[in-house]
Amino acid sequence: MTRYIIRRSLQSLALMWISTLIGFSIYQMAPGGPLQFLDDDPRRTQADVERLERTYGIDRTIAVQYVAWAFGEDWLPQTDFWRSGRCLSNADACARGIIRLDFGRSFSFKGTPVIKLIAERIPATFTLAFSSLLISVVIGFPLGIIAALNRGRWPDNVIRVSTVLLNTVPEWWIGLLLLIILGGYLGLTPLGGMCKIGDCTWQSRLHHLLLPATVSAIGGWIGFSRILRFEMLEVLNMDYVRTARAKGLSRRAVLWRHVLRNAMMPFVTGLSGIFLMILSGSVLFEMVFSWPGMGRLAINAINARDYPVMMALFVISSFLGILGVLMVDILYSVVDPRVRYDRTVG
Amino acid sequence: MATRSLDMPSRVEADGPQAKQQTYAGAVFTKIYRDKITVFALLLLAFVIGISAGASWIGDNVLGFSPTKTNLRMRSKPPTWANEAWPIFQEFTRTCNSDAGCDWSKWGAIFSASRTGLRDCFGSGLGDCHWMGTDDAGRDVLTRAVYGGRISLRIGLWVAAISMTLGVAMGLISGYYATTWIDDIINAIIMTLGSIPLLFLLIILSRIFQPGPEGLALLIGIFGWMGLSRLVRGQIFSIREREYIIASQAIGAPPLRILARHVLPNVSSIIIVSAIFGVAGAIIAEAGLSYLGVGIGPPLPSWGNMMQGSLGNFQNAPWLVITPGLFIFMTTLAIYLIGDGLRDALDPWIRQ
Repeated sequence: MTRYIIRRSLQSLALMWISTLIGFSIYQMAPGGPLQFLDDDPRRTQADVERLERTYGIDRTIAVQYVAWAFGEDWLPQTDFWRSGRCLSNADACARGIIRLDFGRSFSFKGTPVIKLIAERIPATFTLAFSSLLISVVIGFPLGIIAALNRGRWPDNVIRVSTVLLNTVPEWWIGLLLLIILGGYLGLTPLGGMCKIGDCTWQSRLHHLLLPATVSAIGGWIGFSRILRFEMLEVLNMDYVRTARAKGLSRRAVLWRHVLRNAMMPFVTGLSGIFLMILSGSVLFEMVFSWPGMGRLAINAINARDYPVMMALFVISSFLGILGVLMVDILYSVVDPRVRYDRTVG
Repeated sequence: MATRSLDMPSRVEADGPQAKQQTYAGAVFTKIYRDKITVFALLLLAFVIGISAGASWIGDNVLGFSPTKTNLRMRSKPPTWANEAWPIFQEFTRTCNSDAGCDWSKWGAIFSASRTGLRDCFGSGLGDCHWMGTDDAGRDVLTRAVYGGRISLRIGLWVAAISMTLGVAMGLISGYYATTWIDDIINAIIMTLGSIPLLFLLIILSRIFQPGPEGLALLIGIFGWMGLSRLVRGQIFSIREREYIIASQAIGAPPLRILARHVLPNVSSIIIVSAIFGVAGAIIAEAGLSYLGVGIGPPLPSWGNMMQGSLGNFQNAPWLVITPGLFIFMTTLAIYLIGDGLRDALDPWIRQ
C-alpha cells in the first residue's frame, strides 16, 4: 500500500507539472502580449519597447521564461540570457517562482502580488465548496438509500423524476430563480455577499451561506444518490446479504452492517469527482450569488485581461483539484481492503 | 442496417416458423413507438427544432419583431400583457421586504389585471405585444429566445459530433492497445483533463480566442470526450475475450476488421445514447459560458447570453432570466427523455 501511495503521489506531482505547463501556455497564447498597450501610444519608440522587454524579461526564450516563472530566477546565472533586466539590477526584484508561491503582480489591481489577492479569496471559495460537499452528502445519502430500498415504487420514481428535472436546467439558473424569488421578492434570503457589512456575525454568515451552498450542492447530491442507489441495488442481490437475512439478522442490521458498508466504497470514489465539479462550478455560482471567492476574481481578471491572475488561478485550482483526487484515492485505499493497487488493467 | 436482421436471443425461442421476421431497426422503432414518453419527447424536440429553423418566419409573421432591432424607448419593459399587473406585483414584493410582511391580498388584482392584459394581447396586431417583455436594449425577448435556439442547438450538435468522434476513436484505440504505451498516454491525457477544473480552462480559452459558435463547440468538445472514451474502453475489455472475437481472430481477421465489424456494433448503442446526452450537456455548458460573458457575444442571441443581460438587473426584469431558461429546459428535457428511451430501445436484451 505504501508503494501505491508513493506512486499515486508521484503521478500527482507529474500532473501538477503538466498543469503549470498549461497555465504558462495561456500566457503565450494570449494575443498581443503584455506590451500591446504600447501600440496605442504615438510617442513610443522601438528603443522603449526593447527596454521594457528587457526589464520584464520578455525577450528571453520561452523555455527560460517558463523556468523563471515556475522555479524562480534568483538562482539562475547572472546573464541577459537567463535573467530579466530588473532581476539583474536588483536581486530583490527577481521572480521567486510559483514553486515558492510567487505568481507575479496583478496588472489590474495596482500591482498587488497575485498570491495576496488569491489568499484573500480562498477562504470564501473553500467555505462554499466544503459546505456544498457536506450538504450534497447529507441530502444525497438518504435519498440514495430510500430510492434503492423502494426500487420501482413511488419514492424511487419521485426521486428519479426530480433528478431528471434538476438535471435538465443549468443549476446556476435554478440559483438565479431562487435568488429572485426568495431573496428579491419575498425577502427571505440575502441577495449576495458573505455577510452583512458591519454586522458580520456567524448567524449572518450562515444566513448568507445557506442558499448558495444548497444550490451548488444540487449536482453533488444527485451524483451521490445515483451512485449509492446503483451500488446498493448491486449489493442487495449478493449472496452474503441473503445469507445474513437467512441466519436471522434483522433487516436493519443487514442494511447497516452488510449493505451500506459495502455500498459505501464507490461512494468514496464519487467524492473526488463531485469535489472537482463543485470547485469548477464555483465560478458560476460565485457570479450568481456575488460570492467574493476565486471564481469571481477569475471573471474579473479575465475581463481585465489580467494574465498573471488568470495563470495563477488556473494553476492553483488545478493543484487543489489534483490534491483532492489524490486524497480521495489514498483514503479509498485505506478504507477498502479489496482495492487493487495495480490499476493498469480495467 | 434495415435489410440485415440481427440474431437476437428471442428469435431462437420465437414461436414457430411463422414468427414474423423483424429487423433490428424495426424492433427499435416499434419499441420507441410504444413508449409514450419518448414519443412526447420526440414531438417536443421537433417543436423546438421547428421554431428555431423557422425563426425568421415566426419573427416576421407571428411575433412581428426582429431579434436585433433595438428600441430605446422600450428598455427592460415587462410583458405587454402584464403592463398593469407588474406594478401591483412590485408593490407586493415591497410589502414582503418591509416589516409588515407579505400582503397576499394583492394577488387578486394581479390575476385580474393580467387576464384583461392577456385578452388585449391576443387581440392585438402584429408587433404590438411583447409576450415576454423586452431586454435592456428594447429587443423582444421571446423573438430573441426563438432565434437563440439556432445557436444553442447548433453548438449542441457540433459538440456531440466532436466529442463522440474523439471519444470513440480514443476509446477504441486505448481498448485495443490496452496495457501498451499508447493506452498509457491516452490514460494520462484523460487523467490530466479529469483532475483540473475544466470550466476554468474553458473560460480562459474562450476569452483568449473569442470563438464563434463552431469554435466554441470545438473548445467544449475537446474537453468533453473522456467519459465516452472510458465507456468504450471498458466495453471493449468486456467483449474482447468473447468467443466470436476469438473465433474471428482465429480465422485471421485483421484487427481493423474486428474493430469495425464486431466491436463497434456492440458499443454503438452506448455511443448513440451518450452522444444524445452530450447534446444536452453542451447546451447547458454554452449557456453557462455565455452567461459569464465569454461564450457567444451579443448581438447574436443565444440562450446563455440573453441571461447575461440580466446581470445586476434580474430583480426588475425577471423575464430575462425566465424565458431563455424555459427554452433550455424544454430542449434538454426532450433530449434527456429521448436518450433514456433510446437506451432501452437499442438494447436487444431488454424486451417486453
